[in-house]
Amino acid sequence: MSKDLNDNICNETIFSSVFNKYSKDLHDFLYYKFGEAFNPKDKVQEAFIKLWQNCSKVSPSKAKSYLFTVANNLMLNEAAHQKVVLAYQKTVTKHHTNESPEFLMQENEYMIKLQKAISNLTEAQRSAFLLNRIEGKKHKEIAELLNISTKAVEKRIYGALKKLREDIDGI
Amino acid sequence: MKREDLIKKWLDNELSSQELEVFKRLEDYEALVKLSNNTMRFKAPEYNTQIELDDVLNTIKITRQQTNNWLKPLLRVAAIFAICFSVYYYTTTLDTNISTLAAQKTTIELPDASSVSLNALSTLTYNKKSWKNTRDVELNGEAFFKVAKGSTFNVTTSAGTVTVLGTQFNVKHRNNLFEVICYEGSVKVLHKSNTTILKPGDSFLIIDGKFIAKEKEINLNPSWINNESYFKSMSFAHVLHEFERQYNVTINSQNIDIEQLFTGSFVHNNKELALKSITLPLNLNYSIEKNNSIVLSRE
Repeated sequence: MSKDLNDNICNETIFSSVFNKYSKDLHDFLYYKFGEAFNPKDKVQEAFIKLWQNCSKVSPSKAKSYLFTVANNLMLNEAAHQKVVLAYQKTVTKHHTNESPEFLMQENEYMIKLQKAISNLTEAQRSAFLLNRIEGKKHKEIAELLNISTKAVEKRIYGALKKLREDIDGI
Repeated sequence: MKREDLIKKWLDNELSSQELEVFKRLEDYEALVKLSNNTMRFKAPEYNTQIELDDVLNTIKITRQQTNNWLKPLLRVAAIFAICFSVYYYTTTLDTNISTLAAQKTTIELPDASSVSLNALSTLTYNKKSWKNTRDVELNGEAFFKVAKGSTFNVTTSAGTVTVLGTQFNVKHRNNLFEVICYEGSVKVLHKSNTTILKPGDSFLIIDGKFIAKEKEINLNPSWINNESYFKSMSFAHVLHEFERQYNVTINSQNIDIEQLFTGSFVHNNKELALKSITLPLNLNYSIEKNNSIVLSRE
């Protein structure tokens, strides 16, 4: 990242580029970590507005960690570590042509189990695991976003997978 | 240990094709893929970066405007001050206007030692603010001026302008009559670009645009100051108009000749006596009707 001493984010184009770079990741992170109950989109907005208000104090290189910290704190202020239940798509693209009622029921049961299992993950495990599985983020990318080591990310994701397997298949 | 490493590599999409084959042979391969595929269904709602950015930028602009809000109340206060000041300025520089009703006389002091006596139904306008620079008054009606010595003093009427330095004079401007009588000092009368200088006792009289010569005035004041109207060879119509003004009445003169000339006077404080003094010399009868009207007729 460029280290320009005079550079700050008080310029609309710089601010916009920062927004384009981080807003989606920030939103996804908040969503997977805290669920939808506390409106992650609004929190992203608030975090960016805070960033704008403090634009002279935050260099572009610090912007990412600033945003994640602010948004995370905003969430924590409201969500007092409640259980997070994420919604899943009810209709799924058909892979099987022969969908017997039995199969559908099994499928449904599986999804409910999975939903419960995901809720039971720790916030750290869930956000890392879902960013990896759903958003297809590499361990290294997640490590950069969360300011933690790749090893820690790997540990969280593997831990999450193991826990899910235990909860669903009883292994 | 090998199994855990394989799974971790799979999670990071870093399996080589050989390793993938090995991974596929794991006994829980199916379960892992199923778990992974189904997890996809928990995808976060669509996030449109452009829309969200526009939202944020709008909010920022609004808050930025709000930071300028201290300006608004300040402008309001400034506007109030501006209005107050202009009203104050306007009222203080406004012309002073003095007028008399019918049957009313008044004497006023001008900003310097000059004084003006206003006859009935007359209006005098002057500006207090600019008095120091220009002593200008506007007159409509009849007034007697005692002007203190000083800069030029102008009396403007629609018929002509009277300019003096410091004298006593009477200006009368009624309908088609314009009369200036000088009692002291000298008076310059400007009428239709003709300038006339009056010496004490001189008078300047224009009736219907015609100049009429008059004898020297011997009184020190115009007669109306002493509550009496004096006429010398004036058309009777002027006399009746003056009478109407002094007593606030209307006179019906349909049946008589109002063009004849009249010499004499009437008092301002006794209607009966005054009526007699203008009717008897011309052999006229009068009758006082209701609502202040008087009918004149020949004997």
